[in-house]
Amino acid sequence: MKVAVAGKGGSGKTTISATLSRLLARRGHKVTAIDGDPNPNLGVALGMSQDHLRDLTRVPKEIMEVKEEGERRTLVLTRPVEEIEAEYGTEGPDGVRLMVMTGVDHAGAG
Amino acid sequence: MRGLLGELATGTNGETVTVTDMEASIEHMSRATVRHVDAMLMVTEPYFRSLETVGRIAPLARELGIEHVWAVANKVRSARDEEIIRSYCAEHGIELGAVVPWDEAIQEADREGQALMDFNRDAPAVAVIEGIADLVEGTAGNSGRGEHG
Repeated sequence: MKVAVAGKGGSGKTTISATLSRLLARRGHKVTAIDGDPNPNLGVALGMSQDHLRDLTRVPKEIMEVKEEGERRTLVLTRPVEEIEAEYGTEGPDGVRLMVMTGVDHAGAG
Repeated sequence: MRGLLGELATGTNGETVTVTDMEASIEHMSRATVRHVDAMLMVTEPYFRSLETVGRIAPLARELGIEHVWAVANKVRSARDEEIIRSYCAEHGIELGAVVPWDEAIQEADREGQALMDFNRDAPAVAVIEGIADLVEGTAGNSGRGEHG
């Protein structure tokens, strides 16, 4: 189940994303929260400490490559998903896992 | 071929929920990022430019075949605020999934650098977001696309 939360900056999407993640985790779901914002603050909104977040490595751009198929450009992973989650995910309150992206949306997929 | 976020979610088992806080600006929202999303929540405040962003995201989400697309009204202080959002959504054929009230607890939690859940589990906004969790749970397993296993 994949949920995307969008909206204009300042609309409160980070608070809603974080609270939704925590509530779903409390209901027994295995939740991964993904911060796709270039100024990431989902971790703090989830209730992770600054110390915890300081040690977090962002998922690097190199994990993806752009594949051209005629007119279409798509992003593909260069490593297995499980590896990426294990290496870059960190666990926070209620067991929510957090991953912070690096510039996903500027990788040029069309 | 799937976008990264799609891969991250589909590569794991069906009980997993991913919640992605997207980049703010629609201009940078790539198709690859959102292509394999089951549900999109478009958070909006009760003023025109915020609603306009929702008005631009919604057609893209539909075009990408995202099955559940909801606006979520946020920071709603009055019946008038709610009405502005309701009428915009009605005019644009957008389903309004939830109305989150203005909640001082959110500002206070922000100031303290705390999660809203930890600051005040009983805050009015949290109760409404429980309703959003119900919506999200309701979408799991009824899409009929066989992609959740």
